[in-house]
Amino acid sequence: MGEAEKVFIGGLHEKLVEDKVIDESQLEPNFPDEIYKFGGRDVMTCLQCGNCTGVCPISLKIDYKTRSIIKCCQFGLKKYTLGTQWVCATCYRCYEHCPADLNPAEVMIALRHIAVREGIIPPFIKIAATNMVKFGQSVKPDPEIDKVRKELGLKPILTEDPEYRTVIREIQVLVHASKYDKLIGIEEEVRV
Amino acid sequence: MSSYLYFFGCVIPNRYPGVEYAVRWVTGKEGFHLDIKDNKDFSCCPVPGIFYSSDKDTWLLLATRNLVLAQNERRQIMTVCNGCLASLTKATEYLQDPKNMGKVNRILAQIGKKYTGVPQKTEGKRKIFEPVKVRHYVDVMVKDVGLEAIASKTKHPLKNIRAAVHYGCHYLRPTERAAFDDSNDPVMIDKIVEACGATSVDYEDKLDCCGAGGGVRSHVVELANSLTQDKCTNIAAAGADCIVTGCPFCLLQFDNAQKSFAKEGIPVMHVSQFQALAMGIDPISLGFDTHNVSAHSFLRKLRGS
Repeated sequence: MGEAEKVFIGGLHEKLVEDKVIDESQLEPNFPDEIYKFGGRDVMTCLQCGNCTGVCPISLKIDYKTRSIIKCCQFGLKKYTLGTQWVCATCYRCYEHCPADLNPAEVMIALRHIAVREGIIPPFIKIAATNMVKFGQSVKPDPEIDKVRKELGLKPILTEDPEYRTVIREIQVLVHASKYDKLIGIEEEVRV
Repeated sequence: MSSYLYFFGCVIPNRYPGVEYAVRWVTGKEGFHLDIKDNKDFSCCPVPGIFYSSDKDTWLLLATRNLVLAQNERRQIMTVCNGCLASLTKATEYLQDPKNMGKVNRILAQIGKKYTGVPQKTEGKRKIFEPVKVRHYVDVMVKDVGLEAIASKTKHPLKNIRAAVHYGCHYLRPTERAAFDDSNDPVMIDKIVEACGATSVDYEDKLDCCGAGGGVRSHVVELANSLTQDKCTNIAAAGADCIVTGCPFCLLQFDNAQKSFAKEGIPVMHVSQFQALAMGIDPISLGFDTHNVSAHSFLRKLRGS
């Protein structure tokens, strides 16, 4: 690809429009390998049939077309794909309909892994991860709900229980061992 | 019959305690007397939209910690949530690979745990292990309890109720995992609803996503809500009195999204709550007051029967 590559990608946000000229300097040829490393299958096997876009519930609503993102992955247009992957609902419909047995949902998950390692971390990831290391639950316990639990005769949420402290400690040890705390930026919550 | 462990996850205990009450009631001495108990050391599954999406190694460690607890008790895990089902089942699949299992066990040793799977039998000197079984509530109800038993326990058939069933994506897909029901034409929740004496209405795009999964609800709530709106329009067109789902996260999405586009909304409940009603529970114990969409219209119609 010596010359500038004219890429047809059907409207991926405003950043990528039809007939947009993309020159070689923007391409990262190792991108498909990186996706493969994080558990996506080989994006180069994609036939660009568009079945994934056709069945994607999100593609109906916004300018987010699964096929276009896979195309970007094939070309190595990394910066265009980082930021789109968090709108995938992981419903796995694309996977069911893919004739090439590629799993576009898993490709999105691999893209999320890459984005996180580039420092693009949506706030809800941090919030949920913090809840996990503090309470052992991804959803923050609510004192109002605890009142309802009491009325119904259910046990209170365990987070205050001294015995549950060992569970939270175990979680923190695991999160620290896999360096997840550093990756997400929640080191101050993890005391190991 | 098998023995189980309750696995409620995060959403039910912290947002919809009525579902927890209903599940305990239906499986307990008032209902089907299952051999089931709690394990207080369970944590979040962990949620696939966060952990499986940002770091698979951490996800597998935390999921395996939960699996080890079930393995040591020699019990099956009964989840009440599609997300927990997807996360834990996928973890057992990953652990089938000895490389993954070794890697996980090296780190789990730090907290004194080890995953082997459940020992089944010994062939000479070789022990045969089976992965920890993770089952969905609906799966246990239909396969182990049986529809006839459900129908015979129905003291108050919900005759005039028209229910719209929503399955949820991780109940159905990926297909090779959802072996307990037909992914393209699921029937189990419909059958439970009918065993409760109600009518399960068919509506357009029944198998569509609620919009919440994979972090979409947390990331762009308007997008998630617009998907829910489409579903609710179809459900309302079919004339349903309530939405019945097997997933608390879909429940949360239907329950919260409806206030953004509908004045009253369609009441939504978990299949266990629906079952408990048919089995004659007092509706006050089902915690409908923690739901955003009022169940008033539904309960009034129920009393009319």
